[in-house]
Amino acid sequence: MKKLSIYLLLLLLLAGCKENYNSPFVSPNTGFLVVEGSVSSGQGKTTIKISRTQKLENQLQSIKYEKGALVKVEGNDNSSYNLTESSEGNYTASNLNLNSTVQYRLRIKTASGKEYLSDFADVQTSPPIDSITWKLENGGLQLYLTTNNQLNNTHYYQWDYTETWEIKSQFASMLKFQGFKDRFNRDSFSVAYRDSVNYGIDSSIYRCWQSNTSNELLIGSSAKLERDFIYMPIAFISGGSEKLSILYSINIKQYGLSKEGYEFLEKLKKNTEQLGSIFDAQPGELKGNIHCVSDPSEPVIGYVNICNFTEKRIFISAQNVGGWNFYPITCSFFSLSNVSDTIIKKMAGVTPTYPSTYVTPPTFPPKISSFDVASSECVDCTVRGSNIKPFFWP
Amino acid sequence: MKTPRNILFTIIFFSFLNVYGQKDTSIVLVTIKAEKIAITDFIKLLEKQSGYYFYYDSRQLDTLKVTVNSVSQPFLSVLNQAFANTSFFYEIDNENHVFISKERKPNLKLADNFFTGPEAKKNNAKTEYEVTYEVADNPEDVNIKTTEKAILENKLYEVGERTSTNKQSTATIAGYVSDAKTGEPIAGASVFITKTGLGATTDQYGYFSLSLPKGKHILNIQSLGMNDTRRQVLIHGNGKLDIELVSKVMTLKNITISAQKVNNIKGTQMSVQKIDIKTIKQVPVVFGEADLLRVVTTLPGVKTVGEASTGLNVRGGAADQNLILFNEATIYNPSHFFGMFSALNPEVVKDVELFKSSVPVRYGGRLSSVLNINSREGNKKKMAGSAGVGLLTSRLELEGPLVKEKSSFIIAGRTTYANWLLNLLPDQYKNSQASFYDLNLNISHEINKKNTIYITGYMSSDRFNLNSDTLFGYGNKNISVKWKHIFNNKLNNVTAGGYDSYEYYTSSNYLPTNGYKLNFAINQTYFRTHFNYYLNNKHSFDFGLNSLYYRLNPGSYQPFGEESLVNPEVIAPEQALESSLYISDKYKFNSFSVDAGMRYSIFNYLGPQNINRYAPGLPVTETNNIGSDKFGNGDFIKTYGGPEIRLSLVYLFNDSFSIKAAFNTQRQYIHSISNTAAMSPTDIWKLSDPNIKPQYGNQFSLGLYKNFASNTIETSIEAYYKNINNYLDYKSGAKLVMNPNLETDVLGTKGKAYGVELLIKKTAGKLNGWISYTWSRILLKVDDPIAGEMINDGNYYPANYDKPHDVTLISNYRFNHRFSVSFNSTYSTGRPITLPIGVFYYAGGLRTLYTNRNAYRIPDYFRSDIALSIEGNHKVHQKFHTSWTFGVFNLTGRKNPYSVYYVSENGAINGYKLSIFGSAIPYANFNIKF
Repeated sequence: MKKLSIYLLLLLLLAGCKENYNSPFVSPNTGFLVVEGSVSSGQGKTTIKISRTQKLENQLQSIKYEKGALVKVEGNDNSSYNLTESSEGNYTASNLNLNSTVQYRLRIKTASGKEYLSDFADVQTSPPIDSITWKLENGGLQLYLTTNNQLNNTHYYQWDYTETWEIKSQFASMLKFQGFKDRFNRDSFSVAYRDSVNYGIDSSIYRCWQSNTSNELLIGSSAKLERDFIYMPIAFISGGSEKLSILYSINIKQYGLSKEGYEFLEKLKKNTEQLGSIFDAQPGELKGNIHCVSDPSEPVIGYVNICNFTEKRIFISAQNVGGWNFYPITCSFFSLSNVSDTIIKKMAGVTPTYPSTYVTPPTFPPKISSFDVASSECVDCTVRGSNIKPFFWP
Repeated sequence: MKTPRNILFTIIFFSFLNVYGQKDTSIVLVTIKAEKIAITDFIKLLEKQSGYYFYYDSRQLDTLKVTVNSVSQPFLSVLNQAFANTSFFYEIDNENHVFISKERKPNLKLADNFFTGPEAKKNNAKTEYEVTYEVADNPEDVNIKTTEKAILENKLYEVGERTSTNKQSTATIAGYVSDAKTGEPIAGASVFITKTGLGATTDQYGYFSLSLPKGKHILNIQSLGMNDTRRQVLIHGNGKLDIELVSKVMTLKNITISAQKVNNIKGTQMSVQKIDIKTIKQVPVVFGEADLLRVVTTLPGVKTVGEASTGLNVRGGAADQNLILFNEATIYNPSHFFGMFSALNPEVVKDVELFKSSVPVRYGGRLSSVLNINSREGNKKKMAGSAGVGLLTSRLELEGPLVKEKSSFIIAGRTTYANWLLNLLPDQYKNSQASFYDLNLNISHEINKKNTIYITGYMSSDRFNLNSDTLFGYGNKNISVKWKHIFNNKLNNVTAGGYDSYEYYTSSNYLPTNGYKLNFAINQTYFRTHFNYYLNNKHSFDFGLNSLYYRLNPGSYQPFGEESLVNPEVIAPEQALESSLYISDKYKFNSFSVDAGMRYSIFNYLGPQNINRYAPGLPVTETNNIGSDKFGNGDFIKTYGGPEIRLSLVYLFNDSFSIKAAFNTQRQYIHSISNTAAMSPTDIWKLSDPNIKPQYGNQFSLGLYKNFASNTIETSIEAYYKNINNYLDYKSGAKLVMNPNLETDVLGTKGKAYGVELLIKKTAGKLNGWISYTWSRILLKVDDPIAGEMINDGNYYPANYDKPHDVTLISNYRFNHRFSVSFNSTYSTGRPITLPIGVFYYAGGLRTLYTNRNAYRIPDYFRSDIALSIEGNHKVHQKFHTSWTFGVFNLTGRKNPYSVYYVSENGAINGYKLSIFGSAIPYANFNIKF
């Protein structure tokens, strides 16, 4: 039905139109507790993120993480595991190795002393991901996930992914700006060789990696099928995207959910992603499985799920896809003379590439009298990504 | 014909009349005693008593004075007496016209070639002041003694046997009023006597029945869009009188029947709105498709959530609380294209009646309103048809007699070629197709004067093919057979039976392993019999019984495609029987009339079925399910029922001013459940069962009605208060499709609606139309702790269609018979909407937080539309008549928001305002009639 809704929306847009809208209403203060994350029942790392809701009009402000809470996982066999705050609002633990015959819950005590408990939940299991495949369709590349659970016991799934891809600068660079004090002790600049082994180019700013995590709720269910089989689209790379210019990799994590956990996420998805067409369900209140102990009517957002997760990574290289037609952004360069005043005027947002003229008569080492510069994005890939090669990269 | 007393004119007029035997001159007796009265006054007296009509040149006669002394003398001898010794001569034709001229006798013979001349044929249209009348001796035996064709208004018709031994002082006359041109019955025509105010209106078959004192009367017959006419009757006893009316505008086939001119004042029914197809066609609509339901939404008290919805919200009722009847057939989804257009072909529709408050006792089963759509009957006299081309659809309609004057058919179809619209979509939707069509077939057959049969077939279908892997469709199928039987002038009966169905399906193999086909269907079979007993002028009764058998297939989910792994799932069909018995009594004394009705409805939910049991006193949720009971085929699982009261009162201050009050109760056993703002074609319908109680409600209303300018300007003010119980609202995030435990996802909701409606309507003249203002509220409340969820903490909250202020203007100005301009304009408060009040970060992105339902409103709505209609020439004899309509929808191009919503996109939240038809949309429509 989602596709149909989008379609209808498009149809109506022919005659109608969609404009940006900013609510003229002032939101009330909410500050409800938001708890996200899965308790990993196996070896994997458990991360519980705790934050607070904010006013709608403050959406561009940074996320209000809940600091200094005490978070632990409790079993109905009276076992207990503490989580530690590894970064602001992120509470983690590793290797919990929970007992699948025991039910667990999450207890949160905020810095202000309020206590929150999730309902006891069974440990869910996630079968391994069978395969991640792709197809060229709708002018891009669509990635599909297949899971064939022989045990037939999961039925409700959630996924998230991290995608990583290699990027290359358009121009290599052997030069850099170098600051110094002139004789009047003023800040001055000139270009200097990066000198990566005798005036070679600096490959550390030539080859980089970008990455991205899923920001859409990815859920799926095989409850209506005769066996626990999942085949579903996970991610889409639009045509010509730089992601597939060299090599692309995606790592998908698969979580098993309880039916209630799935329904919570389904509602959340409907409330926040599937809106806008004429026949989409109207948004409504969302109730998870976490409650304030002292005030059960206090809204708390989130559903704590106890499960192990499985993951799978694939690589796709540009050669495999073929005809991808990636066109890099247009980059142009221009020449600057190696004079401090000129450099100071023009250096913002550009990176030097190669010398263009040398001082005559020649000196040794040659003194650069002018050089080429180009926009930093075209030269220095660390502006856009990281030059640390991921550990999994071939 | 009254004013131009000009011999030349009258002679020409006369010359086209058919010639029948002259026989009445000796019968009419007149009593006039006068000395030297002006001849014109004398003629007036004579006309009054005799029923003859005089034609003369008043300039010739103004000096003449006559002396007459006659008591019960034959008309002719009085005439002779008066004109003796004057220079005037008279001549009488066979149609009771008296022509007076000076010096020489008028010559009434025609030139030999008169009828063969070219003009003769053309003007035949004017010969249709025809009356057939039959005489019956008593009501029990309507043997047709004589059938006589007589012409013109001034003939005296004798009804009943002169020698009747019936000693009663009053007699009942009955008959049909029909269109002289096509033979189609005219509903809602008034037949009345000015002096005493006695009168009747015709029913939807054009039938009327009226008790009058024996003796001579002038019957006035009025119907909007038709020429007023009158019949002079001399009533000896019970008998039959059929009347044909001529339509006012000489278009070939436009039906121009409308609310009877004074009925809004005198009728006991409150808050009834009737719109004829002519008005509907005048109102400019998007893409120029004459749209009945859109026009209904312009009436006071009727709202809709927005442009993409034909769901009506009548006086705070939900869209499923309207009974939409098309010739007795229930239409569950009267729209095409997901609600953008109504699925009823304007070419076959005669008129639409909307009952908002006093619903006639014969109708029931829905809480808010009854929308009764009457179709036309085919032309009984000759073959005719029409065709039209618009931006989205083409129409073809054919009609004609099967047996001349006895039976007729009308068949009509519409189809779309909206695929061009889809080609404008982005590439990935290029393989999509959309199509819809609807078909109508009506047959009426008059077996004899006492028995008529009507057969109606209707079918509509919508199909949406998305990327050739997803298909969505829905459709209605209806067939009904109606038999109208007249026992006698006082008692008649309409018995109807039929079958209605609505279904939708969606199938997709976009993901081959998840390929599915989902089906939903409602089927119902019904039998209705309705009697109307006309005791006398003061007293009449309606009674009858309805029986309706429902069978719902609430959902079947089947694998689709070879690779599909979908587990077939079928939700058990539901069946139920809804029966009702009713009686109402209309009683009139002096200025006061009352219509009191009682309807008793019973609903039996039938097996086989499994019924879930829930722990008593706990919320109805899946966790509180404590088992289920199995019922066998035909078991009466649960019976609901109760009386429904329909009471209305009218007090007439005078002929143009009245006050009315009404109290109505309604019960509803079938519910549609929707969690979308608009009524969607995939909304599911659910019968009441042990876990879902029937809806019931009542409404008090009070109104003042005043007409001005000879009833051509109607004004009214009405106020109402309404209670709604057990309306089904959904829980937040409810799953409605393929849910075998639907009761766990819905909430029994209370509602209260109240409002004031003002209407000023001009029904005649070059400028006509109406302006209405409505102030209304509809508030819902879920406060039952065991419902499982309280919406907005158990407080009242506005429904989706709560738009407190609403002003609508509908107007049409006719420059002449060929050009007319229509203009409409509407303003309303923006509808309530649920807006986020906060944001939070979850699953990699910012997401919105919602709390209270419908706490905000979208911006107000304003729209104006204009249309220009150009008719081809009005020569009657030409084979084809063409007309054009040009218009602009949303003239000001205002981007009226349909909805406002916030959505998470790539981790951020974006707010959007969606407008449908957010710019001025021009259109053109071409019609041809033959």
